[in-house]
Amino acid sequence: MAQQPGQNNLAELQAMKETALLGGGTKRIEAQHGKGKLTARERAELLLDEGSFEEFDLLMTGRADPDMGLQEVPGDGVITGHGTIDGREVFVFSQDFTVMGGALGDAHSEKICKVMDHAVRVGAPIIGLNDSGGARIQEGVESLAAYGEVFARNVLASGVVPQISCIMGPCAGGAVYSPAMTDFTFMVEKTSNMFVTGPNVVKTVTHQDITAEDLGGARVHSSKSGVAHFMLPNDILCLREVRRLINYLPSNNQQQTPILDLRDPAERVDPALDYLVPDNPNQSYDMKILIRSILDGAEFLEVQPHFAQNIIVGFGRLGGQTIGLIANQPAVLAGVLDIQASEKAARFVRFCDAFNIPLVCLEDVPGFMPGPVQEHGGIIRHGAKLLYAFVEATVPRITVIIRKAYGGAYVVMNSKHIRCDINFAWPTAEIAVLGPKGAAEIIYRREIKEASDPAAYLSQKAEEYRRRYANPFMAAKRGFIDDVISPRDTRHRLIRSLQFLEGKQVEQPRRKHGNIPL
Amino acid sequence: MFKKILIANRGEIAIRVIRTCRRLGIGTVAVFSEIDARSLHVREADEAVLLGPAPSSESYLVKEKIVQAALDHGCEAIHPGYGFLSENAPFAHAVVQAGLAFIGPSAKVIAALGDKISAKDLAIRAGVPVVPGYHKPLTSLKQLERVADEVGYPVLLKPAAGGGGRGMRIVAAQDELGPALKSAQDETRKGFGDDRMFLERYITTPRHIEIQIIADQHGEVISLGERECSIQRRYQKVIEEAPSLAVNRELRRRMGAMACALAREAGYANAGTVEFILDERGDFFFMEMNTRLQVEHPVTELVTSLDLVELQLQVAAGEPLPITQDDVVIKGWSMEARICAEDPSRNFLPSTGLITRYAPLRGEHVRLDSGIESGSLVSVYYDSLLSKVISWGETREDARRTLVHALNRYRVEGVTTNLDFVNAILNHPAFIDGRLSTGFIEEYFQKDALLEQPRERMEAMAIAATMVYHNRQNLVRESLKPMAARVGPSHKPEPWHRYVVKGDEHVFEVQLLGSPASPHWSFTVNGTDYDVISPVFEFYRRRLKLKINDQYQYFRLEYQGNFIWVAFSGFTCVFEIYTPREWALARFMPRREEGVQDKHLISPLPGMVVDILVKEGERVFRGQDLVLIESMKMECGVSSPCDGTVEAVQASPGKAVETGDVLITFKS
Repeated sequence: MAQQPGQNNLAELQAMKETALLGGGTKRIEAQHGKGKLTARERAELLLDEGSFEEFDLLMTGRADPDMGLQEVPGDGVITGHGTIDGREVFVFSQDFTVMGGALGDAHSEKICKVMDHAVRVGAPIIGLNDSGGARIQEGVESLAAYGEVFARNVLASGVVPQISCIMGPCAGGAVYSPAMTDFTFMVEKTSNMFVTGPNVVKTVTHQDITAEDLGGARVHSSKSGVAHFMLPNDILCLREVRRLINYLPSNNQQQTPILDLRDPAERVDPALDYLVPDNPNQSYDMKILIRSILDGAEFLEVQPHFAQNIIVGFGRLGGQTIGLIANQPAVLAGVLDIQASEKAARFVRFCDAFNIPLVCLEDVPGFMPGPVQEHGGIIRHGAKLLYAFVEATVPRITVIIRKAYGGAYVVMNSKHIRCDINFAWPTAEIAVLGPKGAAEIIYRREIKEASDPAAYLSQKAEEYRRRYANPFMAAKRGFIDDVISPRDTRHRLIRSLQFLEGKQVEQPRRKHGNIPL
Repeated sequence: MFKKILIANRGEIAIRVIRTCRRLGIGTVAVFSEIDARSLHVREADEAVLLGPAPSSESYLVKEKIVQAALDHGCEAIHPGYGFLSENAPFAHAVVQAGLAFIGPSAKVIAALGDKISAKDLAIRAGVPVVPGYHKPLTSLKQLERVADEVGYPVLLKPAAGGGGRGMRIVAAQDELGPALKSAQDETRKGFGDDRMFLERYITTPRHIEIQIIADQHGEVISLGERECSIQRRYQKVIEEAPSLAVNRELRRRMGAMACALAREAGYANAGTVEFILDERGDFFFMEMNTRLQVEHPVTELVTSLDLVELQLQVAAGEPLPITQDDVVIKGWSMEARICAEDPSRNFLPSTGLITRYAPLRGEHVRLDSGIESGSLVSVYYDSLLSKVISWGETREDARRTLVHALNRYRVEGVTTNLDFVNAILNHPAFIDGRLSTGFIEEYFQKDALLEQPRERMEAMAIAATMVYHNRQNLVRESLKPMAARVGPSHKPEPWHRYVVKGDEHVFEVQLLGSPASPHWSFTVNGTDYDVISPVFEFYRRRLKLKINDQYQYFRLEYQGNFIWVAFSGFTCVFEIYTPREWALARFMPRREEGVQDKHLISPLPGMVVDILVKEGERVFRGQDLVLIESMKMECGVSSPCDGTVEAVQASPGKAVETGDVLITFKS
């Protein structure tokens, strides 16, 4: 048959693409589905607006080594490209477990690096969908070098464009350090796990029997280790949640945050807030009531909701603008700052500062957690991270003191003294070096010992201290508090402040980088 | 008439009484406990007096303090409301002794009617029928047969000893009496060493009908018609209505006459209610007389156009009744739903906390008697009744629909309420048909009884959820436009938008046509077309009003992550909304397993156990606080990780615990 010019290549292209699109073949795709997982291609397409995915390097192949069972497969086990999320460009790579178990080799890594380079150049977020058995052993040191290339790009992109990782299958060994350096890690319940060494190695080395789920499943990393920021029940919901997060963020560090007007009036008052703080100072309340009340549409995307629950961090909107919210949670451990809470909040503050997201801090903190576990665990240097992160932040910063603001924790929690722009306090605020009872115990130690009824004397002196110092008025007199506000007006006051802070600019001294107490 | 009165109550009833007083120009003094200091009733009253700490025994039940407060503030009378001291004869006596008027019957009458035996004697003397039976214990079959013949079958055998239904037998006919007696006696002999039996008429499908009366101090007594309160849960009324489908004009006249006769016999003055049990044959029997204003009095007010509190005040002030029996005309129909802070999914355990959002109701033919507002604190100390929603209509069906619509748009957040449960009853076919009995809830709302949800109602809910989801998605896209690339072809959106909506086990294919620029939308749900008119979307609202096929409907809804929770006409459902391509892949997603049963309650923090809130063998529910721990000088509750039964309590008050210590073990 005589071939017409040009037709030959087109037909060949068609055939090549068809093969490539099938990845590891129908059998493996069925197996992937059987595990409750979507394929790499299904994931990439679902993540992006319908029909917007543009693929790179579909035909790229890696090294073949038939002796070692290594074959050339078009695409080399990862799907890369770009597309839009609600109209905005993002870059994506999605590892294909059906092709050589999604193992990472030279070409595979080059494909990932290519989209990362594009992302940094054009200033668009990069989203990695991880589902990989690890390094491609047959490639030897080259696959290690390949990981290194990715890690280096993760670091260079950090703070330039948002980086998001979704763990949607295994992620073991060195592979974990790429997600670890991205801004947010999502994990899918039951089908994903992450660990530096897997259960088999653990068994050999430490003789412990542990399942992959118990060692590094989504639940463990969301609640115990804090490695994962979000945990979702399945692939579809995970990808939706990524879209939801992206909608809060600017595309890069030069952009302002997106404005989303939920038509929630800025001047909306909430009379219930006047009664949120219980009369009894020993009684707790749920800070989330306040959070839901003040944010636009009561919408709050909580980051690490199951980890270090004594502090709440997450994204919301005020007057349409994305804000990063940091709040002590008096309902958990009285809202105390401990090692985990300090680290959780510090990292979140730095992310927001890097991407121009204003910080709003809702404060009710009794202090740092006492005890040998905390001291020996290094609460000093971990608490310092939060202090450092706040001081360093140049985005608009507002604090509302709801109730307790005691001691060093008062200073650390975005106080005026560490470059916070606006500090409000509710009338229920207690700003002092320590709680009234503790203060009275120290100041009147001798008198208490000599009193005929020490307990009564102590409570009388504590009450005196409370009246004199444990209130917002002393701080307001000194100008440390810009205003004592009605709880019901909190939302309105925050939005008005954010309005005037929109133009905030801070000159930074020249330096290579600071030395955060890591 | 009085110039100033004290209201010895709280919550909605105190506010209800204040309202009438204000209209009549009567000054009001409220009383309150420490925890109620910021309550609505305190602010609504002209003056308010602190009684004491939160427990009722130290505040609302302290007679001397209340009387003294009335005297100190120059009151002439005390209105007791319902509950608390309203049927307390010594209190009524103390009020009168102090030279004040008690707005209610005399202490003597309260005492006489408050005692079951003397109340029954009074009824018999007044010629009011009581449940036929023999109220002395019998043992022989012969005696029982004779008595049963007099009483009429079916009869109920009740053991003289024991309880909890043990040894109770329903006997339909004479030949069954012998065997029934033998087995009942065997059981009680074994259990309690006693085989004596009472016997009375067994009432099948009983209805609770009560007659409202009002009497003045000059011997005049009139009846204001009946109320039906058959919808009850554990003897607590849930829904009341007036009039009753089971009562015709003749029966109303007879029951009214009997109620008035009893009141006369007792020497009654003021408002009161005679409760009857009505059987299928139309026979009615006296149960008890309540010597106070009832919770459900508003339904009588709406069908008679009378203000019962005003009448109470007039007769208490010694004035003669301003109306006669002939003036009492029943017009239309009225229904009341009691909204309580209790959680139907947790066996109606009371729920407490801060009312974080509250949208009071307005609307034609809707009355709201409410004791709460945004910021109110619902505590463990008092009754769980938050408010009453009352409707009126020309017919029963009108009143029912109006009430359903009102409940659909009524929103109480912060504490869990029975609102959707009550609304589900109102929408039950048996309720709509009027097939009521005091066993209604047990019969139709068993824990596991799944209600078949009418297709149209589910589709309406699916429309509401999709509408919100779609518009929210649109809004996101529009808002982000300025940040998208300017290069590129203009996007032509498809005219029809398709979604697959999953709610419970139902799947709906939803298509919609429309744009946010116009309120008109065309929907197709599983092939059925709907015209929908939407409001301007304000995404902070949790209430959506849609006009679906020319009918206004109200929905309550809330985003729960990626899902949308919708409540409508007693049904609640979480909808999962998928695009067609998501839906095509959704079948691969693993089914969510039910949470693995945790066998232990673990201490989440180091501290000291303050209190154990449950006992061994007690049924508990996920999220319910079981143990109170003090840590960081704060008390915090540790809540149950599961639904289950407490097997053992390891924690004890006063003991220090570490993180990870087992506090409670559950039965697996």
